[in-house]
Amino acid sequence: MSVFLQQLINGLSIGSVYALMAVGYSLVYSIMNFSNFAHGGVIMIGSYIGFFAMTAFELPFATAFCLAAMGTGLLAVLIERIAYSPLRKRDAPFLYFIISAMGVSIFLENIIIASPIGPTFRTYPKVFGVAPFMVGGVNIGRLDVMMFFISAISLTLLIFIIEKTRTGMGIRASAYNLKASALMGVNTDRIIIIVFGLGGLLAGIAGVLFGMKYTVYPQIGNITLKSFIAAVFGGLGSLPGAVIGSILLGVIETFTSGYLSSQFRDLIAFVLLILILVVRPRGLMGKITEDKA
Amino acid sequence: MKLLELKSVTKQFGGLTAVGDVSFVVEKDSIFGLIGPNGAGKTTIFNLITGIYKVTEGEILFEGIETNSMEPYRVAELGITRTFQNIRLFKKLTTYDNILTACHYNARYGLLDAILRNKKYRVEEKGLLAQAEELMNIMGLEDRRDIIAGNLPYGLQRRLEIARALALKPKLLLLDEPAAGMNPDETARLMALIKEIRDNFKLTILVIEHHMDLIMGVCERIVVLNFGKKLAEGTASEVQANPKVIEAYLGEEEVVVC
Amino acid sequence: MNWFYIKGILILSGINLMAVLGLSLLTGFTGLFSFGHAGFMAIGAYVTAMGTMKLGLPFVPSLFLGAAGAALASFFIGRLTLNLKGDYFCIATLGFGEAIRLILDNVQYFGGARGWPGIPVSTNLTTVVIIDVIGVVILANLIRSRHGRNFKAIREEELASQTIGINVFRYKMTALMISAAYAGVAGGMLAHLLGFIQPKLFQFIKSTELTITVIFGGLGSISGSVIGALVLTSLPELLRTFATWRLVVYGAAVVFIMICRPQGLMGGYEITFTSIKGLFYRLSRPLGKKHAVGGDKK
Repeated sequence: MSVFLQQLINGLSIGSVYALMAVGYSLVYSIMNFSNFAHGGVIMIGSYIGFFAMTAFELPFATAFCLAAMGTGLLAVLIERIAYSPLRKRDAPFLYFIISAMGVSIFLENIIIASPIGPTFRTYPKVFGVAPFMVGGVNIGRLDVMMFFISAISLTLLIFIIEKTRTGMGIRASAYNLKASALMGVNTDRIIIIVFGLGGLLAGIAGVLFGMKYTVYPQIGNITLKSFIAAVFGGLGSLPGAVIGSILLGVIETFTSGYLSSQFRDLIAFVLLILILVVRPRGLMGKITEDKA
Repeated sequence: MKLLELKSVTKQFGGLTAVGDVSFVVEKDSIFGLIGPNGAGKTTIFNLITGIYKVTEGEILFEGIETNSMEPYRVAELGITRTFQNIRLFKKLTTYDNILTACHYNARYGLLDAILRNKKYRVEEKGLLAQAEELMNIMGLEDRRDIIAGNLPYGLQRRLEIARALALKPKLLLLDEPAAGMNPDETARLMALIKEIRDNFKLTILVIEHHMDLIMGVCERIVVLNFGKKLAEGTASEVQANPKVIEAYLGEEEVVVC
Repeated sequence: MNWFYIKGILILSGINLMAVLGLSLLTGFTGLFSFGHAGFMAIGAYVTAMGTMKLGLPFVPSLFLGAAGAALASFFIGRLTLNLKGDYFCIATLGFGEAIRLILDNVQYFGGARGWPGIPVSTNLTTVVIIDVIGVVILANLIRSRHGRNFKAIREEELASQTIGINVFRYKMTALMISAAYAGVAGGMLAHLLGFIQPKLFQFIKSTELTITVIFGGLGSISGSVIGALVLTSLPELLRTFATWRLVVYGAAVVFIMICRPQGLMGGYEITFTSIKGLFYRLSRPLGKKHAVGGDKK
């Protein structure tokens, strides 16, 4: 029973970080209808900013954390301006966005490898201490708890922005129909920048948390394939869907590696992806689109 | 002789009834009109006939064969084809290639014949080229042969869409607002063309239109739809005199102006 | 720069070309985007190697076996996913590509994640060139037939294709299976060039590279795919001295192409004997008669 609980908590904490990434994906997808494969690169950069802020510059955790989030927020906006905005002006098909995103992703990953930072794996300093909590005979890692809470707070803030503010209303309107929103006086250019900025912020947070949980390395962005699966699982373009899908995926993964074998962990994720696409392509809560003749 | 028959056809999207309990019969070799205000369900009926949507209730019979559950390409094989309200040409292909592509149905050679370029391929392909050439001449598109379809003037795009449909040698041709965006002069020419097509190709035509003079001028029989229901049916003059039709159109000023 | 080195690059380009040609049919001509073709290459590689190593077949029949294996896998995948719309089909192929790799990681019969050494090195320049030429001819003949026109029609306008009687699902399936078979042959040749295969060779990034090559050459152009495969395979090899920076440049170049020349090198045009003749003709008569253009009212 205690093993079960421990696995569950592990799964929840991993799932909550997946959610941070998946929400960024989903936000962009809901407005621009393409899969932003550059998101992984942004997460990776966030992870490095946090790492170097804490080690090379010896900044406290909170400052490093904020720096990483802001840095990636800016980076995401910059990517949008350079790699997507010209395509958007031209009304290019979605594939061009995807390819452009992959170009960005290849660029970011390899610029880190080629730079003096290099391909080495680096370990974050231990901030929260290593001694686990003991609650009713269950070991709970301090980091896991922190991960869960930081993610939960960030997501709550995001949902608040989207549901309660004027900008949030603009985002929701643009997600419903970008062109019509523009006609109704929503500054969609601004909305898109904000969406990329928000997605970038969350990516930075996720990057730092992930770097702390595991290590920092140039390919860490590949983990976003998982959050992407989670987003599809929950329904592309739906934020609550992305969160629920991520948590479920996190839990399923930890249980698979806990009870079956860690080798099957990734396989399960992709098999799940295929199953969802075949059985229910719009995911748990995705929007339905029907072609009109 | 009955060519197409709709028997109490109903189509629901979720809770919304787009078409409710509509029945009518299209006689062979006739030109049949489908009119009604915007959102009356006209295009939905076209989508049902061509198999793009599946009927919720009722039956559609073409030459006595039930087409309800058929895929659109199967319906096309039976001899029903259509044009679209918002023109759907193969935009990046030339005029000629648009027609030639649609001729495919009149050749039977398989993938292997194409790869080997054997005699069967060469003979049949030659036939297709000749057929496309002929259609282009009939439809007066021969001087636009190598122009990319998306660059054609609007009126010619509509004409090309009809030409592409005719390449299938259909028995029933559905025209969805063929005169949309045309001036009176072009509309008059289109009317002549529709009649000409019917006589030359010996086919039946079902047409949706807002231009009343076009509908009244060419259609032998008309069905009026409103809110997905059949409001009236009859000849042009019968429909025009029907008080229910007049009521439905009152206030629909843009329709009257057209 | 010796012949041995150039030969190596040419062989590699030729192998990539085979996979790119297949993807060109699927993406360039039928309008379906796949991020899972590395998976089909993997199946081709493993099945071909099984043919030569476990069944004791000669190389070429084994290649056929590999192609058939990949096509068969694509058939099942297609049945499940071809009805999905745009983005979702992409994602599904991505999932399949990764799943195939992860499954191979766990198949100990083929060496699992550690890889499978000792495969006979049978691929040489002659076989690659012959297979490529056959690949190009088959594809070109296909494209110039009614079937090729139907593929293009589906790319342009799916709904209209249905209403002129094209069985869209069947044609998509055909394109997918042929493209998978091409990728399978490429995988088989790669296995018998390296003498060693490992699931890691067929990662998601490989699929991306193939798609990028097709787009670089120009969607809907076979000659574009040929040039694309030659340039994009040999360029990184020639830039080996800048090893670490070449992928940075590659990534930036991809973004640059998308922004500045999305139609790719050839932009849907083909280099054929007629077009070369036509070019000379036009060059020799610069004041030739102009054809009527669209846009004017009659």
